[in-house]
Amino acid sequence: ENQQVFKETLFQFEDYMVHKAKRVNEALDEAVPLRHPLKIHEAMRYSLLAGGKRVRPMLCIASCELVGGDESVALPVACAIEMIHTMSLIHDDLPCMDDDDYRRGKLTNHKAFGEETALLAGDALLFLAFEHVATRTAGVSPERVVRAVAEMSAAVGSEGLVAGQVLDVASEGQEVDLRELEYIHVHKTSKLLEAAVVCGAIMGGGETVDVERMHRLIVSSDVTKSSEELGKTAGKDLKTKKATYPRLMGIEKAREFADILVAEAKGELSHFDSSKAAPLHGLADYIAYRQN
Amino acid sequence: SSSSSLSTASNSVQFDLKTYWTALIAEINKKLEEAIPVKYPERIYEAMRYSVLDEAAKRAPPVMCIASIHLSIILSILMESCSICCLRFTRLRSSMMTSHAWTTLRRARGRPSNHTIYGVDMAILAGDALFPLGFQHIVTNTPPEVIPENRILRVIAEFARAVGSTGMAAGQFVDLRNGNGNGDRERVVEFVQEKKFGEMAECSAVCGGLLAGAADEEVARLRRYGRAVGVLYQVVDDVMESRRDGGEGVKNKKSFVRLYGLERAMERAEELREEAKRVLDGFVKVYGETKVAPLYSFVDYAVDRSFVVGDG
Repeated sequence: ENQQVFKETLFQFEDYMVHKAKRVNEALDEAVPLRHPLKIHEAMRYSLLAGGKRVRPMLCIASCELVGGDESVALPVACAIEMIHTMSLIHDDLPCMDDDDYRRGKLTNHKAFGEETALLAGDALLFLAFEHVATRTAGVSPERVVRAVAEMSAAVGSEGLVAGQVLDVASEGQEVDLRELEYIHVHKTSKLLEAAVVCGAIMGGGETVDVERMHRLIVSSDVTKSSEELGKTAGKDLKTKKATYPRLMGIEKAREFADILVAEAKGELSHFDSSKAAPLHGLADYIAYRQN
Repeated sequence: SSSSSLSTASNSVQFDLKTYWTALIAEINKKLEEAIPVKYPERIYEAMRYSVLDEAAKRAPPVMCIASIHLSIILSILMESCSICCLRFTRLRSSMMTSHAWTTLRRARGRPSNHTIYGVDMAILAGDALFPLGFQHIVTNTPPEVIPENRILRVIAEFARAVGSTGMAAGQFVDLRNGNGNGDRERVVEFVQEKKFGEMAECSAVCGGLLAGAADEEVARLRRYGRAVGVLYQVVDDVMESRRDGGEGVKNKKSFVRLYGLERAMERAEELREEAKRVLDGFVKVYGETKVAPLYSFVDYAVDRSFVVGDG
């Protein structure tokens, strides 16, 4: 009987994911029209509309709905965060960084458009993210939009995403301990996930206490991720000795660690209406245990 | 140098741009220094500081931004300037690395470029970090009781648009793609000049106006003014370069002089100067000559380069 309930929840969650991903994809498609110069906009669209799982926009929308806001008020910031995420992937793949040829089963941006265009397309997506939030958000007070901009910029800058990438680049081919790995992971991945849920709660009209809970929600994530699941060149991380939790802790320990983190995240959700919190429960499980 | 035969007639109010500019540079540099402290991981902050805290930087965009603010309220909101400098670096970074295919040692303002010292990967990351730092700086350091949030949002949108895929990034892109020039060369050069050089000055002037609460119609005029001054500055640069190199055989393929000849370039400069001053004349009627004087002096400086900025 329990299994039946579990299956139904799972089914609804998948429904939710499919529905929201569709909305997000439509909004992203509209956000980057083909304008002059065409090629740079094609390059931006190539990576942005490459069919990612849209985990970040979904977290953003789900936390907006959790505090009682409508999907539409969170959609611009949700798209903006996906643009920032895409920028980091494009730059990450460049020959001077990770030097990857494929992502999500497609040629990487610089393989398809050339390095110069890829660099500029990444930059342009980062710029567009901020323009998009500032000009497209409707039905939210300017004070809240400004707060969301502050969260976004903190998440991507030298105290966020970039700090993680710096350490990641520096640690390649070297032995990394758990503390360093934690630093890389928190900055490279968790900060943007955190910004997604926090911005969602801000746009949705959440109280300060709700926003604080959202800050604590994403303690860490996808602990057990492997390079294959990211759609990267298989085995590259292991070859280059890039640090991963399973490598440092072993698969079993890494999974236990993930269990603890997921339980913590769900603890934060217990303060909210359980039906409204259901999507975030599902997303927490999905992020921690996803398997392709 | 006074080798230019372009008219440099000043307006009736004497304004000492050199003193004004030099004083602001010191203040802007101090704010920038504070805005990017070195923290863990140090190397990324060092790379960011290397490009932003360049002693030779003229800080023209922030100075113009402040001059526009002075137009209606006297408030030195220097954090805005910091962002503009950060943004300009982002543009520099892209231009350095893309145009030289990652390898050539190119000097920006007479110094080795960021990537030759810190590596291409670190230079890219420094750029990625500086842009959001600019926004973070605006939103965390602008007191909402002085500047209401709706104005801050308009400034953010303006910055992002100016550097984005239809602004400076577009100019950069077309510049790279049309390196050898053909067919539509004239349209390409004008597009590139407008986007690469007009946008930054336009953005600086507009943001100053937005912060000060200028009306939409005034913002539109500041936009025309900034664009004209930005392109003017570059056209005059092309003229000066062609004179230095003795004739029209200039190396720079995107040079206005190379494309149209010296005479037409001079005419264009004159048109742009007229356009910028015409816009300012409109402001004088409302705000008086004293407040508009700094903005006039930028136009003259773009033409005559009568002093070296930051020199004594």
